[in-house]
Amino acid sequence: MGSEWEQVLKEVISEVLETMFFAMVEFEQGVPGTHPFDFESEILLLKPDGKIVISLQVSEEFARMTTADFLGIGQDQIEDDDIEDSMKELANMIGGLYHARIDDAQWELGIPRAWKIDSDAPDTAKSIPGLEFGFFGEPAGSINLVHLPV
Amino acid sequence: MAYNILIIDDSKSMRKVILKTLQLSGFQLGECLEASNGQEALDVLEGKWIDLILSDVHMPVMDGFGFIRSLKTKDMFKNTPLVFVTTEANEDRLNELMDLGARGYIRKPFRPEEIGAFLSTIMGETDGFRVGTSIEGSDF
Repeated sequence: MGSEWEQVLKEVISEVLETMFFAMVEFEQGVPGTHPFDFESEILLLKPDGKIVISLQVSEEFARMTTADFLGIGQDQIEDDDIEDSMKELANMIGGLYHARIDDAQWELGIPRAWKIDSDAPDTAKSIPGLEFGFFGEPAGSINLVHLPV
Repeated sequence: MAYNILIIDDSKSMRKVILKTLQLSGFQLGECLEASNGQEALDVLEGKWIDLILSDVHMPVMDGFGFIRSLKTKDMFKNTPLVFVTTEANEDRLNELMDLGARGYIRKPFRPEEIGAFLSTIMGETDGFRVGTSIEGSDF
């Protein structure tokens, strides 16, 4: 992940989380991809000669807290479906705002998806190397952006 | 005056957030209906009177483009204000929605306090048509 994209992503994540999820995160200097997280969401940006994959992983604690704040309800009322739906919307907004920042009309935003990471299934449980962020000193999540030719 | 509204979004969470935002913003709400895509919205509209429609653009089954094209063929709803709430960043596509008859669009992420004022403007309750940098409205 290039440093220019990394800076844009930092701004985008901060804006989305602060505006709609009421969470201020700090970006960490630690070794990326070392924390296992619990929920993953993903969105694609597509154009004829390439695609960008934005993947986000977050801890259950962070996902539960931000989902509750997003929906304006208590954490005890949150179910896994609510978390997956909110994390999908988080990826959607990050993808949309990233698209707006790169200002390239050729890209088209895909449909986001989200799922709970199954720690017993190695292919879904791998942590993604990426930009890590924390919330009040605790690891909260990681985001990765991959630009692929088609 | 209380307005009957229809919120269309494939995300249940986003529908809840938009509704809660409207409730907190002081926008006068009557009956609030929901649909998860454009086709479901067309079914929900049968036999109902709606004053304002808020719709996502990117949805499965029928997206925002398909929905507005279908809506404009219906005598009962062709003049109903339709505002898109979307992550769409492509100006050409947003302009296409406006050309198809959308009354405005709100880009996600949005600041909740901007929504009520913008929609009140759309409904003709205040002057002006632009609130914030991420919200655009047609000249009505």
